[in-house]
Amino acid sequence: MRIVCPFCGERELGEFTYLGDAKPQRPAADAGEDAVYDYVYLRDNVAGPMSEHWYHGGGCRAWLKVTRNTLTHEISAVEPAAGAGAAKVGA
Amino acid sequence: MAEFSWDVRSPLDRALIAGSYGAQGDAGVALTEIRDFDLVQVMARRGKAAEMVKAAQARFGIAAPETPKAVDTADTALIWSGPDQFLVLSKGGKHTIEALAAAFVGSASLSDQSHARALISISGDKARAMLAKLSSIDLHPDKFRVGAAAATSMDHTSITLWRGKDRADGQPVFNLLVFATFAESLWHTILDSAAEYGVTITHSEKLA
Repeated sequence: MRIVCPFCGERELGEFTYLGDAKPQRPAADAGEDAVYDYVYLRDNVAGPMSEHWYHGGGCRAWLKVTRNTLTHEISAVEPAAGAGAAKVGA
Repeated sequence: MAEFSWDVRSPLDRALIAGSYGAQGDAGVALTEIRDFDLVQVMARRGKAAEMVKAAQARFGIAAPETPKAVDTADTALIWSGPDQFLVLSKGGKHTIEALAAAFVGSASLSDQSHARALISISGDKARAMLAKLSSIDLHPDKFRVGAAAATSMDHTSITLWRGKDRADGQPVFNLLVFATFAESLWHTILDSAAEYGVTITHSEKLA
């Protein structure tokens, strides 16, 4: 498997580290225990396209958001994660 | 109290034995460790990438690389090392972290890497064949041209690789920065890979 890093270009899988699902968003401070439990522990087991965080630690050290089909490993999109480089978080 | 005197040594001091190595005859690979350089990491602060670009232009008179490449000025090389960051490589104390600090106030954070990396210059007509054993990136002359750079890994070790100006005899030159503590390990791996082509080993105080 190869990932096309938006900063470096096409690189082999060995340069990347997998984090996991990119969907969960940290709940607001007053969201309550159930929301925090969901955020920390509950994950969807997706069969199909999934948004994931990958770290290009063996290269430019940027966090990436990768859309990968878990059935075929086909990667349909790669973009910098929020805050990659000097970008403002969320920009 | 005991008095300390720091003995500045290259991280390759023990491993590097100048001379020839491997196959006899015309050496296909030349390995030169460059010693005693100034290296500063420049990283833009959050939301300040444009300011850093302007500051670099003012300081060096040339645009800092914003894509994987290395650009030369009269007395430095600016090498891309990741998004919104680059390395300043120089000799002679003109571009030390102290000298650069004022230029990047407010726009970038600087980190002195002078003694944190080893710099290895790899050249020769078999340099590309040797590197192909260690690197998964495409080093074909049409793809990885003079001035191309990459933040990548060799032998599970993070490196910064860029192609310098060709040697006077037209052979390609690849420069490699590696963390000092990994330098000896990678050096031995490089020697193993290069042995079949014959190697000439030297060290130099001069930047190529």
